[in-house]
Amino acid sequence: MEGIYQFLDALLPFEWAEFAFMKNALLAVLIITPLFGLTGTMIVNNKMSFFSDALGHSAMTGIAIGVLLGVDNYLFSMLGFALLFALAISSIIESGTSSSDTIIGVFSSAGVALGIVLLSINGGFSKYSNYLIGDILAIRPSELLMLLIVLIAVLLLWFFCFNRLMTASLNPDLAASKRINARLYNTLFVVAIALIVTVSIKWVGILIINSLLVLPAASARNLAKGMRSYHGLSVLISLFSGVCGLIVSYYLGTAAGGTIVLVAAVLFFLSFIINRCRDKA
Amino acid sequence: MLKKLLALLLSISLLLGASGCARPAKEAPRLRVVASFYPIYIMGLNITDGVPGVELSNMAGRQTGCLHDFQIQTDDMKNLESADAFLINGAGMESFLDKVVDELPDLMVIDSSTGIPLLESGAEEGHHHSHEDGEHSHDHEDNPHLWVSVDNCIQQVKNLSEGLAELDPAYADAYRQNADEYVGKLTALRDKMHEELSDLSTRDIITFHEAFPYFADEFDLHIAAVINREPESEPSARELAGIIRLVRQTGVRALFVEPQYSRTAADIVQAETNAKVYILDPAVSGEEDKDAYLNIMEQNLQTLLEALK
Repeated sequence: MEGIYQFLDALLPFEWAEFAFMKNALLAVLIITPLFGLTGTMIVNNKMSFFSDALGHSAMTGIAIGVLLGVDNYLFSMLGFALLFALAISSIIESGTSSSDTIIGVFSSAGVALGIVLLSINGGFSKYSNYLIGDILAIRPSELLMLLIVLIAVLLLWFFCFNRLMTASLNPDLAASKRINARLYNTLFVVAIALIVTVSIKWVGILIINSLLVLPAASARNLAKGMRSYHGLSVLISLFSGVCGLIVSYYLGTAAGGTIVLVAAVLFFLSFIINRCRDKA
Repeated sequence: MLKKLLALLLSISLLLGASGCARPAKEAPRLRVVASFYPIYIMGLNITDGVPGVELSNMAGRQTGCLHDFQIQTDDMKNLESADAFLINGAGMESFLDKVVDELPDLMVIDSSTGIPLLESGAEEGHHHSHEDGEHSHDHEDNPHLWVSVDNCIQQVKNLSEGLAELDPAYADAYRQNADEYVGKLTALRDKMHEELSDLSTRDIITFHEAFPYFADEFDLHIAAVINREPESEPSARELAGIIRLVRQTGVRALFVEPQYSRTAADIVQAETNAKVYILDPAVSGEEDKDAYLNIMEQNLQTLLEALK
């Protein structure tokens, strides 16, 4: 870790990079944003942005369960609950009784409400409010390592299974004809989203995690001309918003997570305008 | 109106009935007293101890932390409606008080802050200090965390006991006697703290959330900075950087967090400087026990000695 800090010091002789917490936050952004950029494309393609939002909200209950169990690290309770939650949503959607946005909406609200109720049993809700807006400045090296492992895992998954994941989610019939187990791959994708959302929620915040997943991919979709440039642009836009937002937040004295999302939102509108101009031309 | 009249008649008849014979403890209370939140509740427990027929309840109840963001609920209003007296901290802590007074003009409110000189909140940041243009000279807010100073707590206990003595003259002596007894304990605690804290090697501290100015004043500690003025949000990167620089320059050794709030910001500062994080309790939540305040302050004394000796 010392080596990385020294490297960053040499690379970034700026005021904001003077402190270890800012270096940690920068590293976290460098890991989280590509992860989000990459996953976001598939979420946007599959029209699953509401689903990932609900997963974020379920973290509330995950935290509450962790608190009630008396564990120090809520990661496992959040992850466990998010997985349960995600699988429950997908199986109810598959049963086809109501439309998927209704089902997700029901789960999303239930997840938040259950979390609030469970947390209020002990009366100390204010202690957990930083999960709502996230606190990327508090990230520690060991937690960076965990994020890095998740990033590598997702990269591997994408590298080996991208085509099959894509086919399974976009066209189940085609997938069946190619003997791809669509169900397996869809579940794999859902599990991957649950994992990504859970490991990063503490740093990004329940309220804005979904914007960070969806915005870069949505902007990239406005600009991209093919699958490859779509993914590349999404990762780039995500990275740029992350780093830019973090530095701007330092100088403005604003919350890091919110500033990052705002930068991403501005980029989205820019991409929208560029797209419109291009269409007319 | 008719309802109130009926209620009055009913309570008078109950009172008449109660004065006649010795009643078992389970009967309807003679006097219902509501304390706004924990520190006031502990004072109330001491003052009303052993006075027959008094029921004391803690309105904010299990709500931990300060009353800052407390939203008054219908249940609380109902509870207050049937109360004989409402014990409050005052100095702006009960931000919902106007609403209560509007709705229940007959409720007797006993303000414990009477006669205590108030400090302005957020003074060193100066954002409430816009006195230049005369017009806004009422723009400042008082810091309501009075009870964290033992001296103020003593005054608050006296104020509350006088109020209760006035409300319930039959037992005035009992309230006063209880208050005297408790004040005796508090005075002993205060003197002990003054003595033990008289020779510290440093008196500079950094606190989180603005609960300690009165305490620092009393024991001659110097609050170099307050982090997290609003306890529900984490400080921004720029604020953190400013605090880290301040700690590095001034050599402040101790950062005091409150057990009711998150300590992540303090941990960040600790990691970047030589300062250490300790827990100082402003006594806004805890055991529902008569001696809770005394015990918490005793614990704070030990923490201060460990941190600043």
